[in-house]
Amino acid sequence: MDDRSAGLDKAIEAIKIGVSDPERNQLHIELDQFLDWLEPMLGVDTGDQEGLLFSHDAVNVLREDSPRQSDPAEIQEAAPSFAGGFYLVPKIME
Amino acid sequence: MELRKTTVHRVAEAVLQGEITAHQLIDITLKNCGVLNEGLNIFTAVAGVDASEQARAVDQKIKQGKKLPLAGIPVVVKDDLCYGVLPTSLGSSAFSEFISPVTATAVERLMDAGAVVIGKTNLDDMGQGSTTLSSPRGATANPWQAERTAGSAGAAAVATGICMLAVESDSGGALRQGASHCGVAGLRPTTGRVSRYGLNAHCSSFARVGVTAFSCENISGVLDIISGFDERDAATAVCRDGIQENIKAPGSEDITIGYPVTVFDFLEPELREVFEQARDEFAGHGYKIKEIELGLLREGLQAYYVIALAEASSSHARFDGIRFGKTGAADNLHNMYFQSRAEILGQEARRRSIFGTFLLGKGNYGRYYRQASKIWQMVRWEFEGALKDCDLLMLPTSKNLPRPLQGQSSFLDQWSDDLFCAPVSLSGLPALTIPAGQIEQHPVGMQLVGPPFSEKTLLNVGSASEHKN
Amino acid sequence: MKYEVVIGLEVHVELLTRCKLFCSCPNSFVPEPNVNTCPICLGFPGTLPQMSSEALQQALIAAVALNCEVALYSYFDRKNYFYPDMPKGYQISQYFVPLGSNGHLMIKDDRGENNKVVIERVHMEEDAGKLIHAPGSGASGSTSMVDYNRAGVPLIEIVTGPDLRSPLEARRYLEKLKSVMQYTRVSDCKMEEGSLRCDANVSLRLSGSQPYGTKTELKNMNSFRAVEKSLEHEIKRQAATLERGDNVITQTLRWDENTQETIVMRGKLEAQDYRCFADPELAPIKLKAEEVEKAREALPEMAEARAQRFINDYKLPEYDAGVLTASRSLADYFESCLKLYNNPKEVSNWVMGEICAHLNNAGLDAGQCPFQPEDMAELLKMIDDDLINGKIAKEVLEKAFLSGKSPRQVVEEENLVQISDHSELEAIVNQVIKDNPDSIESYRGGKTRALGFLVGQVMKATGGKANPQLVNELLIKKIDG
Repeated sequence: MDDRSAGLDKAIEAIKIGVSDPERNQLHIELDQFLDWLEPMLGVDTGDQEGLLFSHDAVNVLREDSPRQSDPAEIQEAAPSFAGGFYLVPKIME
Repeated sequence: MELRKTTVHRVAEAVLQGEITAHQLIDITLKNCGVLNEGLNIFTAVAGVDASEQARAVDQKIKQGKKLPLAGIPVVVKDDLCYGVLPTSLGSSAFSEFISPVTATAVERLMDAGAVVIGKTNLDDMGQGSTTLSSPRGATANPWQAERTAGSAGAAAVATGICMLAVESDSGGALRQGASHCGVAGLRPTTGRVSRYGLNAHCSSFARVGVTAFSCENISGVLDIISGFDERDAATAVCRDGIQENIKAPGSEDITIGYPVTVFDFLEPELREVFEQARDEFAGHGYKIKEIELGLLREGLQAYYVIALAEASSSHARFDGIRFGKTGAADNLHNMYFQSRAEILGQEARRRSIFGTFLLGKGNYGRYYRQASKIWQMVRWEFEGALKDCDLLMLPTSKNLPRPLQGQSSFLDQWSDDLFCAPVSLSGLPALTIPAGQIEQHPVGMQLVGPPFSEKTLLNVGSASEHKN
Repeated sequence: MKYEVVIGLEVHVELLTRCKLFCSCPNSFVPEPNVNTCPICLGFPGTLPQMSSEALQQALIAAVALNCEVALYSYFDRKNYFYPDMPKGYQISQYFVPLGSNGHLMIKDDRGENNKVVIERVHMEEDAGKLIHAPGSGASGSTSMVDYNRAGVPLIEIVTGPDLRSPLEARRYLEKLKSVMQYTRVSDCKMEEGSLRCDANVSLRLSGSQPYGTKTELKNMNSFRAVEKSLEHEIKRQAATLERGDNVITQTLRWDENTQETIVMRGKLEAQDYRCFADPELAPIKLKAEEVEKAREALPEMAEARAQRFINDYKLPEYDAGVLTASRSLADYFESCLKLYNNPKEVSNWVMGEICAHLNNAGLDAGQCPFQPEDMAELLKMIDDDLINGKIAKEVLEKAFLSGKSPRQVVEEENLVQISDHSELEAIVNQVIKDNPDSIESYRGGKTRALGFLVGQVMKATGGKANPQLVNELLIKKIDG
């Protein structure tokens, strides 16, 4: 298995998305196509500049701290599995 | 009332003057809605009773003497923008009944100004795409040619006259391409001008909240209302002390439009003609045309996808089925994650998250992500450089006609549709798309791109060009 | 010893802000689960983080207090990994550019020499929620429960270099760190409550050799003592492994407080790939060099310097100075008392003795002491004025501490004023002499201890209020007289 293939399987595992075998096979093909498609960009001499990290020019955007209590009941309604004040997940084995 | 033939200002005045109540206006709108939406698949949710109630509340406020600038104006909202009353599907079948505890700032501000939300509009899988082809509800058809996609459902709603304004997101070009394909105007604002709070952005670096309308004048009528500092979106801090509008004198002879010849490397011949005609028309109206080069369009598009996919893999990691969405009946944590996430994210969203994870992974970050962030910087420099010699730039919006609903197109074909839009997204500059012409009864748009906060100039130029056409 | 011990510590400290790091939910402990939550800290779609100004201020203070260089430009990254207590699927943290770097703390090593412990980085990040694993089988046994109250609470992570050479040094470093964090009011650092958490990396190498040995990571220590114990245990285990000719393997171990042993949590794993990148939803942080200098100048006097000053200026014994400066609030309390009653040793005795005992019983910090410095001064003046004796004073202090009344009020209400009236005491003394002829005999026979007994009898008869010195004088006069 080449680096790309191994990398893709690792990525699927890391991002925790269930994919069927046919979908996984298709993704392997498509990743190759995608990475090949990126070749022109990889070929650009970008020099030793830093690259951009932020789309905006804002700095030090800070909020004054004044505590506010939200209504958790409204938020909790969206939870698929909630009881006794807790969000529930399948038992985690320590 | 034929919404396409009037303006936001005139309709709001009529409501404020009592010529028609907001309630009556919205009732008519909702009735039209069903007919005009026929076969197009525009909505994920129609407001119905809620819209009537909103309209009544608007009438009440008018009675109390409130001068609401958008009194009774019917708007639609793309369904990646949260609105706490109707379900916010985010473009996921698992969220079809999700009521968000959040309402997007832009939507809130429109409603405060008297606008009435009549529905939420269709979108690609988790808002990722510029075609609606990956929508879990199926694509939205184009009102001009029903066998093709609309590009964006909000643009289709505006084009049919269902509503006067559509609030939409635009990351790689969804808003702009939709407007272009549907023959209407659409504005992607300058970074930080409009709050993104309440937008489920798959890519925060490039996602913006913009407006689609039948005319530039209608966009002008709403831009100030949704613009400005919002404590809940850090990027708007550039507007904390007000917006420094960059307005160019209205005389066309004072305006130089940059005309990038490099686009012809990629444009299909028929669209090339439209673009050249548009240039000639501008020249005919006294604008100075200056040929320029934008050498990194293709690489900019690719860099956009590297960054957008990387960010999406992270931004969509919150969809774990614990606090919202659906969860699989899994017996262990591993299965819960894999099942929930596969159910929430559709095929396109899965592909993007998985590729994005790959791109950020050890050994790939430097090669892909860092390189993309450098290209991002270079594209920005390139646009800034071009705007040193020009007041604004013209660019095609789409490189081809909208995709057929039934045709087979690869994911890369679809991503490549953003060729002229995504690099503009990297630049952070405002972009207005307006109709440029037609090919076989099909509308084709073009973008006007200006320096930061030059929206009013763009809209003035766009508006003048609409009236001359 | 054949092996040299190499220890590095990673400490997480919760900041004492009013709000969470990126939302306005209160940063406070509440027993009910999931009440300090909002759409932002739960990672709801469409929400964006909003950075707390207080957290930045405190992190900056912590960085300069730990002698760090402060990055004038820093930003937050996303550290991507899944766990149910992490609402967004990523932790917002400073991965690429920490706020503080290259700092140090001085501690005493095992031989009492100075050891400069390098602090590699101090960075801000958000805390995760808590998972509760209900025991048993059935429905509750098949689920784990998530409480997000703590999710988004501001933390700083403080990472040392591999500079600690023994478990004792590790403990001293933690004590010093805690003291600095408390003196700067950045954190209360209560390990048992989780506001300070510590992971330790430990390895052995042959004394005098250069390359580090393979290290293991220790987790789940919930006291400084446990950190020291677990390191001792792990060092023995590694030494035994090496002695057998085996290799130490990279692994993470959990300290079990009950069995006092380390247990393997996970074996050698490929290092986790967090896929970090700058969080596009936050703005970078730019600081001016002057701001950083101002923060440095505004640092309070730390424990060590303060103790030295107490020794020099107040002529206190080293022991007293150490106890009084163990916490900033206690030292503040002591000095406030001194301003009103200028007898350092006397005040020190009362603060170290009675005040500390009562604070301890009540579970209070000196900053919350109901017996104010004014009360202390009033109490000590009443002793000086012979209004009460020392024994009664302790009683008065306790009553005032518990009731919140002033000492004078307690003395008046409970009629505790010392009896210094000659005639009143004389009558009682006479009675005691009359009642205890045996003791008088013993005393006259040379057993001076008997006098103590007689004084005690007089004190008893007066409910402890008699002026003890006067009673002494009277008794001697009467018996010898």
